[in-house]
Amino acid sequence: MIANAEALLKPLTIKGLTIRNRVMSTSHAPGYGKDGKPQERYQLYHEEKAKGGIGLTMFGGSSSVALDSPAAPWNQISVADDSVVPFFREFSDRIHRHGAKLMIQLTHMGRRTKWDTENWFPTVAPSPRREPASRTIPKEAEDEDIARIVAGFAQAVRRCKEGGLDGCEISGAHGHLLDQFWSPSVNARTDRYGGSLENRMRFGIEVLEAMRAEVGDDYVIGMRMSGDELIADGLTQEDQIAIAVEYSRRGLVDFINVLGGHARDHIAHAISLPNMAFPVAPFLYLPSAIKREVDVPVFHAQRVTDLATAARAVTEGHVDMIAMTRAHIADPHLVRKLQEGRADDIRQCIGAGYCIDRIYVGGDALCIQNAATGREATMPHVIARAEKPRKVVVVGGGPGGLEAARVAAARGHSVVLFEKERLAGGQINIAAKATWREALSGIPRWLHAQAAKNGADLRLGTEATEGAIMAEAPDVVIVATGGLPSLGHAKGAEHAISTWDVLTGTVEPTGSVLLFDEMGQHNAASTAETLAKRGCLVEIVTHDRMVGEEIGTTNQPIHLRELYKLGVVMTPNMDLIEIYPEGNRLIVALRNTYTDAEEERVVDRVIVERGTLPVDALYTSLKARSVNGGQVDQDAIVAGRPQPWPDGDGFALYRVGDALAGRNIHAALYDSLRLCKDL
Amino acid sequence: MSATVALALVVWLSLIAAAILILNRARLWTVGQPVPVDWASGFKALPRRYLVDVHHIVARDRQASRMHMLVAGGLVAGSALAALGIVPPLGHARFYWALVALIFAIMLAGGFLVGRRRYPVKPPRLSGGTFQRLPFLLTGYALGAFLVALSAAIGPLPALGWAGLVLAAVGGFGLALQLGQGPMRHAVTGALHLVAHPRPGRFEGKRETALAPLNLNEPKLGIETPADFGWNRLLSFDACIQCGRCEVACPAFAAGQPLNPKKLIQDLAAALAPGNDAAYAGRGYPNAPDVAGVGSPHGAIIGADAMIHPDTLWSCTTCRACVEECPMTIEHVDAIMGLRRFQTLERGAVPEKAELPLSDLRGADEPGGRALARRTDFAAGMDLPVLSEDGETDVLLWLGEGAYDLRVGRTLRALVKLLTLAGVDFAVLGAKERDTGDLARRLGDEATFQRLARDNIATLGRHRFRRILTADPHVLHALRNEYPAFGGSYEVIHHTAFLDELVAAGRLKLAAAPIAAGASVTYHDPCYLGRYNGETEAPRRLLDRLGLARVEMERHGRRSMCCGGGGGAPVSDIPGERRIPDIRMAQARATGAKIVAVACPTCTGMLEGVTGERPEVLDVAELLLRAVEGAA
Repeated sequence: MIANAEALLKPLTIKGLTIRNRVMSTSHAPGYGKDGKPQERYQLYHEEKAKGGIGLTMFGGSSSVALDSPAAPWNQISVADDSVVPFFREFSDRIHRHGAKLMIQLTHMGRRTKWDTENWFPTVAPSPRREPASRTIPKEAEDEDIARIVAGFAQAVRRCKEGGLDGCEISGAHGHLLDQFWSPSVNARTDRYGGSLENRMRFGIEVLEAMRAEVGDDYVIGMRMSGDELIADGLTQEDQIAIAVEYSRRGLVDFINVLGGHARDHIAHAISLPNMAFPVAPFLYLPSAIKREVDVPVFHAQRVTDLATAARAVTEGHVDMIAMTRAHIADPHLVRKLQEGRADDIRQCIGAGYCIDRIYVGGDALCIQNAATGREATMPHVIARAEKPRKVVVVGGGPGGLEAARVAAARGHSVVLFEKERLAGGQINIAAKATWREALSGIPRWLHAQAAKNGADLRLGTEATEGAIMAEAPDVVIVATGGLPSLGHAKGAEHAISTWDVLTGTVEPTGSVLLFDEMGQHNAASTAETLAKRGCLVEIVTHDRMVGEEIGTTNQPIHLRELYKLGVVMTPNMDLIEIYPEGNRLIVALRNTYTDAEEERVVDRVIVERGTLPVDALYTSLKARSVNGGQVDQDAIVAGRPQPWPDGDGFALYRVGDALAGRNIHAALYDSLRLCKDL
Repeated sequence: MSATVALALVVWLSLIAAAILILNRARLWTVGQPVPVDWASGFKALPRRYLVDVHHIVARDRQASRMHMLVAGGLVAGSALAALGIVPPLGHARFYWALVALIFAIMLAGGFLVGRRRYPVKPPRLSGGTFQRLPFLLTGYALGAFLVALSAAIGPLPALGWAGLVLAAVGGFGLALQLGQGPMRHAVTGALHLVAHPRPGRFEGKRETALAPLNLNEPKLGIETPADFGWNRLLSFDACIQCGRCEVACPAFAAGQPLNPKKLIQDLAAALAPGNDAAYAGRGYPNAPDVAGVGSPHGAIIGADAMIHPDTLWSCTTCRACVEECPMTIEHVDAIMGLRRFQTLERGAVPEKAELPLSDLRGADEPGGRALARRTDFAAGMDLPVLSEDGETDVLLWLGEGAYDLRVGRTLRALVKLLTLAGVDFAVLGAKERDTGDLARRLGDEATFQRLARDNIATLGRHRFRRILTADPHVLHALRNEYPAFGGSYEVIHHTAFLDELVAAGRLKLAAAPIAAGASVTYHDPCYLGRYNGETEAPRRLLDRLGLARVEMERHGRRSMCCGGGGGAPVSDIPGERRIPDIRMAQARATGAKIVAVACPTCTGMLEGVTGERPEVLDVAELLLRAVEGAA
């Protein structure tokens, strides 16, 4: 039982609106918008949370109210014309059916967007100051722009009300137009919108007054804002409290949704979306300070990943609603599980940031550990029982194997899983050894517990052999044997060791170390950090344009920050040509990828990160005897049909995860989920 | 003078001695409070009360029943016939004496059974002391009388006759002398108690379990001394035969808490004399703090310097298992409640942890001090109709205290969902629902109970509804059985019975397949539903409809064992050696069932608090909802 859980399950009434509990999901941009509308995929994603018991789900992070704040960059929602209203109606009906409430975020992003998409208008801001993150130089807003945008907000809120949404918030966080006006770092105006804080608050007041005039005082309108921008020339905590007090005192806002930080550059962005390197709820003190000063309810989201922290935040009075946005991406049924006394079944967000990192490179939000999120139309969050129970043997207890065992056992199949290590988790156990990446271990921990709970026979410390597999007389064999690190094919590659050797402790390098990274992922960066913390002199070399190039925007800045702090030398644009020993040291030949200029290093160790190659011996030996030749029917799996079952006695054989090709955790889980849900 | 005449004299003299002793004892009862007794109907009903009601209880122990039938039947019939032996024509009739001999032979057989029950090893629930002499007196009397009768039937064999007479005289007088203090007292007091029983309704098929209201204008509230009991209550304590059935049934005793209902009754009887418990030779109160152990008719019963320690009083869960098992139909719980009322109302001496809930009940109408409006929080997001001032509903759903609890909220949500699915016209009182006062009443705070009862009755009087539905048997008992004394009479139905009606009427469609294939369920009867209200069948019927394999715990139905949660015991929190719910859960585990079905929020909480591997605890409503949702 979670302490103070009942505090989370108290309803909250704002004006006439009663939200059934204190757990919410904040507006965000999962990249599911289509043509600027929240269509089926988007709605199903939120409906799953509503089914899962959430009190309030807010969608449409940065939904735009004007054409010069385009919806295109993150596949977002445009509320700038009436065509969105029918989608809102469908959406709100869908959410209300399950007893939850639905709100949207309305905003004008000002300079924090792109000019080169959709409508090709220049961005606008109080003053023409460039934002590093969006890379735009905005046009200074003229009075006519201000009047147009204020009117845009008013029309947008009318559309929300007509669409049956329960309310909305306007965004004055992350550096949108609202807080661009507030902040002297962006607002250098000398007119009635610039100068004193009173003047800088004017734009927002005009926006809210226009919205109120349009929909009346009863409609719930809130505001999202930072509690402290945490940047040198940004708005301070005192400024933000003053703004919150003024807006709420005027009766303009019905709730204040507080976060910490800003997002104008890479590191600010990473801090405002704290990953697993941060403690839980790192900025809870900010809403708490504002709550002391205002009479309206206060909401807050920022790495509240577990219900115990959420319950503490509410019960101690820091906030009125606690947002668990990423926590719901990991497990949309979080509240229901709490209510049903199944809190142990909650798949807890580990803070990998996989969901959000995908959005900022134009992808869709997917959860590193829950392959059903965002795929509700095809992937189940609750596994249905199969009509015909089968015997399923899973080889390998990494994420792919554990997911296969979990899902197959939930289907009612008799599942045996072989894992030669005594601890399930596979490569995740290695990755989790690297400093702040420890939280990754939560993924196999949950999968393991669920597979065991569903009745799978998990034989840890037991290596699978052909004989042992056949002795089970399986109907299905799933090979999830994962991969092993590749040392590459450069001359003298055998003199290198892998990042695995370092993290598992097989080799404990000392002295100078050159780490060559071909992947650009967490692996090399976190290994470099580990080595540097152990006292090694580390140079990380990559053929990419920068170190950690493939790491997402909420994680890469944290890696770089740590590597800089530790004095790790970062050398991009270099290929590794050759390694050869000289005395008891190693010479590494590097070549610039652009100029072909060669350099040499003399080091004590060379470590390479070149991804993994499949462990496929068992698969190969079983393949000929299987009824399907080890092949997944790709048409069937994409269409969501069960795999065809060829005639004849024997077993069907499938490979999942890195046993097919080295990819990532999500890929392994998705391989297994989509295969086993129809098994 | 023949031996037969002498035997008749022995019988007569014994009877006279017995009468003197019992009258002497009966004089003590007169210190008790006057209670109107319907003597005529009591006497008229005696044979039925004894032969049907008492026998029904006694017969649960087959051996004891056989023993008692033979020995008591033989003693009464044989002695009656032998007493008539002074009538001349009978005195010489061989056939007559043959009959007498036969009857005493039967009694003799019974006497041997009495002996076998106690020798060579006395079961711990039976008291020792004078009770250990009983088989010898009974067999001596029976054998002696048998020999006298036999000598007259086949004789004359004077030597045998006179030898028998000596034996019969020793046994007979010995038994007679036990009338005042010893085991034989129950024969007379038991019969008198049946006649003057304080709850005659229980012999008329009623579950007469409501506590009698206390007149709060009395100069003294509750029971302090033996003299404060009604006289027939004092009589009832004297009826105890110390068989220990209550002791075996008592959950507090089993948990090693300082309560033993048998010892309690004996202490109450001993205090009347006045006296101490020196003569008591049964098991005591487990782990009880020391007390002086003396009492007198006008002296305090409870206290370290009195007969009984307060911890004994507060260990009771009011489960009525002792009452249910008592072959002498003694009302232990009434006695405990009377004593508690004095402790709470006159001395303010409630257990420390009970002070806060009682004060919250007084100040906030709710034992957790929570806002009444928050009672419906559990259903936020669900369609839960609240009855408006002028509204009307068919079924008024009384939520009870469980609504504030996370776990019970789940049960209630299941219930609300089921009501909605079945299209039941229902509503709740919302913030107008106060606590029923059950906890206050069981903790002896009759004033708070009565105030809450009156307030609730006033609220209910302002609304129109046909019947009240509740998932809490404690609420059910208060509203159904205890509110009528304050002018509120309602048709109250428990959710298990109501849901059973809905399923029977086809208003809820069930899945064809069982909820979980192969899952077996054992049903734990809540005391306030089963024993207090006699409802043991509806929940079982409902479970059977779900297609689950139902297995019974050894103690079930009206003889079920308490979860430990009643009577304010969880807030009194008197330490013991084990926890009652652990004991009960072990019984559930022993059935091999995967699910313990419950029908009471208190039971749910107590049983779910059991740690370690155990069956899942699910309310009947939750199980039904699973079956209904499985059908959807």
